[in-house]
Amino acid sequence: MLSEQILKTSKLTKRFGNLIAVNQVDLEIKKGEIIGLIGPNGAGKTTFFNLITGLEAPDEGQVIFKGTNITTMPPHAICKLGMSRTFQVAKSFTEMSVEEAIRVGAYNRRGEEEVQNKVDWALDFFKLEDIRDYKCGDLGLSSLRKVEVARAAATEPELLLLDEVGAGLTAAELLKLMSELKRLNQKTKITLCIVEHVMQMVMGLCERIFVLDAGVLIAKGIPSEISNNQRVIEAYLGRRSYSESSSTG
Amino acid sequence: MNHKKNQNLENLLLLFFLVIALFVPLIFGSNQYNILLVTTVLIYGVMATSWNIIGGLAGQVDLASFAYLGLGAFTSGTLLIRFNLTPWIGMIFGGLVAVGFALLIGIPLFRFRIKEVWYALTTCALVEILKVVFNMWEEIGGPVERYLPYFSGSPYHMRFGSYVPYYYLILGMLVIALLVNSRIARSKLGFYLKALGEDESAAEVLGVNTRACKLRALVYYSFLIGVTGAIYANIYGFIHPSFFNGQESIKIAILGIVGGRGITYGPLLAALLLVGTQELLRASLGAEVSGLYLVVYSVILILVVLFKPKGIATFFQFKNKKPAKQEVKKKNVI
Repeated sequence: MLSEQILKTSKLTKRFGNLIAVNQVDLEIKKGEIIGLIGPNGAGKTTFFNLITGLEAPDEGQVIFKGTNITTMPPHAICKLGMSRTFQVAKSFTEMSVEEAIRVGAYNRRGEEEVQNKVDWALDFFKLEDIRDYKCGDLGLSSLRKVEVARAAATEPELLLLDEVGAGLTAAELLKLMSELKRLNQKTKITLCIVEHVMQMVMGLCERIFVLDAGVLIAKGIPSEISNNQRVIEAYLGRRSYSESSSTG
Repeated sequence: MNHKKNQNLENLLLLFFLVIALFVPLIFGSNQYNILLVTTVLIYGVMATSWNIIGGLAGQVDLASFAYLGLGAFTSGTLLIRFNLTPWIGMIFGGLVAVGFALLIGIPLFRFRIKEVWYALTTCALVEILKVVFNMWEEIGGPVERYLPYFSGSPYHMRFGSYVPYYYLILGMLVIALLVNSRIARSKLGFYLKALGEDESAAEVLGVNTRACKLRALVYYSFLIGVTGAIYANIYGFIHPSFFNGQESIKIAILGIVGGRGITYGPLLAALLLVGTQELLRASLGAEVSGLYLVVYSVILILVVLFKPKGIATFFQFKNKKPAKQEVKKKNVI
């Protein structure tokens, strides 16, 4: 098996005033994996993504991507190195057509002559040809999410971070998206890191799972380990011993 | 598909406009005043078209266009007065000084992520600050007009004894501005500008260096207007701090928005329609019903806002297909 490390964070910390959103997180992701990052609301998953992709600067700690320290790099330089992401609240280019939005991503590694090939590949891979001329602002949520994944994949990343791509989708749409992500991982060898609330998606898709709670990494392991982990259950459901008065976090 | 069709239509419309524009002096040729009016309209066309790069494509509502016009005018004018340097070279310097100043402002602005209303306010203040500076800077500006050396019919001094050559000069600038615009819109830079104009962080994680892209847009914009400023000074024959005109700068942005942001010929269309009617009314009825042009101007604005909020140019565009009915409309997450 490939066990080459692609991303490693050490003691990554981010504070917002008194709140420690991400607290001393050490984790490593191996090449080719599908990783799940879960945790209750406010656990710091999105902040963690922002720290790795350079949208926010950490207060402490380091991010090493493919052996390079990217802690202080701007997002576009990190993308050039091979990391892209999607957003929790879909940030679409509302005035652009689907094809144009994907083209923006494809320019990351392709010049004017080759860019169209990459766009066509992404349109084909995510089955978006039928809606290539639609304006992103006119799309429904499930297509919009797909366009977002497609345009990030068009940058030809080695690591793709997906922030709640399943949120707001129906069960059927979710299954379709899952199979597409699986296919993306298998065909292109892109390492995927998925932040998700929908347990069904995480458990079915991910090889390893990290659990964040209140900014702290409380568990990691394969899905079956995680679903039986006492601390994870507590983080999601509260402690059993004082069940009546406890909060659910 | 629609993209191609729109492109062809765009080229056709522009060609049509150019052919007519080439013959305008033959129609008005005998009346110098009319030529000056038409030239003024075209100057607004050049400025609004240049504005489209930063304001339309990149989505930064820049309100400093007359700052660059003034800088171009003062650079070329001062070089002519002091060193007898021909405006043909002076206008290049005018463009470069405008670019230098744009970078001086743009680098810190974009570094500290000043955007949207804050960018608009900052650039708006810029024009007024420059006006005060040039009013007080006795060596270069000052409150009295500085006349350019007057030689009737000296091409070296960009003096022709007729407004017709200026008309063609400005028309040439317009063609350049349109070409630059459409080249950018079809290139990587254009796609990057459109993307960052909609959402900067989404663009950044796709590999767009937003700061560098915005600076490049600012450079194209300020250079085109700086060069136009040099010609502007020669048309009027003097330089004066009132060239730094905040109100007119806002008008340029209005033309860009009303015409259709990001559409190459949109701002030009708006300039022809709005500034055209304005100058026409001012010239023909100004003496009897003063201020009538403002009424017409605002009525057109209101109509555009109501019926064509994406700009007048969308009249001439093929619409993108819309998704079928069963597609769930974008709903709120959570």
